[in-house]
Amino acid sequence: MAMTRHYLIGELSAVLGELQEEVTSPASAPDVARLRREVEAAPPTALGSRATRALELIDRLCRESLDQGDATAFTRLAGIGAELRTFGVCAGMLTDTPPRRRRAGH
Amino acid sequence: MAVEQQEVQVSEAQIAVHWREEEYYYPPAKFIGQANASDPAIRERFREQNFPECFKEYADLLTWDKYWHTTLDTSNPPFWKWFVGGRLNACYNCVDRHLATDRNKPALIWVPEPEAAATEVITYQELYWRINEFAALLRDFCELKTGDRVTFHLPMVPDLPVSMLACARLGVIHSEVFGGFSGAACGERIVDSQSRILVTMDGYYRNGELIDHKSKADEALAVAKKQGFEIDKVLVWRRQPGQYASKSPMVEGRDFFVDEVITDYRRRVVEPVSMPAEAPLFLMYTSGTTGRPKGCQHSTGGYLSYVAGTSKYYQDIHPDDTYWCFADIGWITGHSYIVYGPLALGTTSVMYEGVPTYPDPGRPWRIAERLGVTTFHTAPTTIRMLRKLGPDEPAKYGYHFKHMTTVGEPIEPEVWRWYHKVVGKGEAVIVDTWWQTENGGFLGSTLPAIDPMKPGSCGPGVVGIYPVIYDEKGEVVEAGSGRAGNICIRNPWPGIFQTIWGQPERFVDTYYKKYCRNPESKDWHDWPYFANDGAVLAADGYFRIVGRVDDVVNVAGHRLGTKELESAAITVEEVAEAAAVPVVDELRGRVVEMYVALKPGYVASKEIEAKVAKGIETQIGKIARPKNVWIVADMPKTRSGKIMRRVIAGISNFTDPGDITTLANPEIVASIKEQVQTEKRARGDVPRELTAQEAEEIKAFGKNE
Repeated sequence: MAMTRHYLIGELSAVLGELQEEVTSPASAPDVARLRREVEAAPPTALGSRATRALELIDRLCRESLDQGDATAFTRLAGIGAELRTFGVCAGMLTDTPPRRRRAGH
Repeated sequence: MAVEQQEVQVSEAQIAVHWREEEYYYPPAKFIGQANASDPAIRERFREQNFPECFKEYADLLTWDKYWHTTLDTSNPPFWKWFVGGRLNACYNCVDRHLATDRNKPALIWVPEPEAAATEVITYQELYWRINEFAALLRDFCELKTGDRVTFHLPMVPDLPVSMLACARLGVIHSEVFGGFSGAACGERIVDSQSRILVTMDGYYRNGELIDHKSKADEALAVAKKQGFEIDKVLVWRRQPGQYASKSPMVEGRDFFVDEVITDYRRRVVEPVSMPAEAPLFLMYTSGTTGRPKGCQHSTGGYLSYVAGTSKYYQDIHPDDTYWCFADIGWITGHSYIVYGPLALGTTSVMYEGVPTYPDPGRPWRIAERLGVTTFHTAPTTIRMLRKLGPDEPAKYGYHFKHMTTVGEPIEPEVWRWYHKVVGKGEAVIVDTWWQTENGGFLGSTLPAIDPMKPGSCGPGVVGIYPVIYDEKGEVVEAGSGRAGNICIRNPWPGIFQTIWGQPERFVDTYYKKYCRNPESKDWHDWPYFANDGAVLAADGYFRIVGRVDDVVNVAGHRLGTKELESAAITVEEVAEAAAVPVVDELRGRVVEMYVALKPGYVASKEIEAKVAKGIETQIGKIARPKNVWIVADMPKTRSGKIMRRVIAGISNFTDPGDITTLANPEIVASIKEQVQTEKRARGDVPRELTAQEAEEIKAFGKNE
């Protein structure tokens, strides 16, 4: 079990590494780096919440890229989000349920 | 994001509680006829009465420079020494000794991620030269000597096993950090191991992108420097010699391209250093811990014997197989069952650079077909992913596996059956293996030609391993009782790690203290190894692993994984963080209380509390419904961000929350205590005074995280 959790930590870190390569804005890059370090240092039991936060972060970055009219960045970020979500579900970190409707303003 | 196919995910808690006993599957006669272990007498040879001498059978798979005089030295428990007096070289055993008969046989087949790129076949002869030349470079250019440590931060490229075996040739201790980790994680491990040399790569492919990897070395060195440690040299392998795939500048006098420096060492032969059997071979750091990293130190003779033996009998590796362990060498699985075990047996080991589903989920099966893979080995997460994204893909390809492995975590019976029927085409045996980074090799598995398979259970202890399940009091939990407990191994074995690098007290405290009967004893019987996993032992002697013991709240006999409870809680939109703790309850033994912190902009309400409780009930079951949901302003956390569950468990149980001086936010404790205990008093919900044992349990909750 512990061995697998280390592997899951590593894979989640690797996906966040892909995200780090993609995100260059000074406003968002530290958020990605911080979350990646949290994943690497946090207890394995907290992986689910970190994966959820990573998806939320990617969601935010996607919206920012749309606001900037950067379709290339959006496509790549969405791809990383899809990869993370599939991995998270298959690793049991995330549940495979429809996204909840967001409140107005969120 | 689009919603994909609906699939019920079985949680650890559900595994523990709800998995029913499954039917047996039997190995096909064709497999039995060719298996390395098809005679049940093997169990007799490895029975306890023949311990520890039984492990001579594993050690005899190797070539020794000098035979050992003592099979197991127990004079300083639990720092066991195996094959004392023996001398050997791990690299010689994995490479040199195969040259006389198999020099032109492929040792490694490397498949790059870009599908159009050529597969690289490295024969034992070619591997020999690459290792010798790099060993000469390490010895003469880097001035490394026996016992020094070298950190690798390498992806899945052939240069990684070359680097490992070059170190092994010199008696230098290697420490590979998973290539996907950040530079910061690498830097911490450099400092802990006091490595003077870092070996890295300019870039590698992942998901179709060439990742800049060298830049992580700069980050690693900056982190190390901040902690007062400096590296002498950084050796950079280039994925394409002569072409630099990184934007990170090379630092004059510190950074060197291997393909340039190594020209001075072409055709140089380095004699393998004859090492004592108990000399460390490598360190494997476990991640996810707070504070100092935990470097598991593995030995040369004991480890290599164990991985060779388990590769032969449990992986059923034959010299003419094409064996593919679809894992990363950055983990212990890759060390043991991509590099050291298969190469010690002289087989052909396949390595794949990229992610399993690139460019599509048919990729693994195309590789298997093209290379004629006979033996396949991967983790349940990968199996689930391949099943989810390409459930019908295996049938499109003409490969045929005789043997498949699943490793590292319980696999749901439904997924196991897909693996057996679709991936294995109903022809392959499956071994469902349980072990850990600390263990070197398998601890629990069926013998593939002898034992029937049972989906969801790893099987009995492997030969020479005598597992037992203890309850918290150290009483044996009997087979067939249906009760879960702490799985322990009663005996030492050759693959067990020697210590935590530089932290011997932590080694004893974490793995041996809990069930040690007598700290003064030199008798191994008094030192069971505590695996930190929970398990259930069925009447047939098969173990079912149910998760880490420190993650469990036992509600009326139902073991609920805290991870799953917390994961369920954070599916509620408003919840940012969650922590589950046990509360002593007269009726059910323990009940769950859930603490949650909300995302910014949300305000605590009864509705949110109800949503959390409902979310847990829906995802795990009614038994898991928390007695109380406490919405708090923040969680008590260490400076590294770890939630201190024992503190809130103490508050919920009206016991001493323990030392809070190491918290990053100690002020929050008083605030939570006031909130929770005031409310509980108002509800008449104050638990009775805890017994000393109960208080100890609450105090210890989550301490191993």
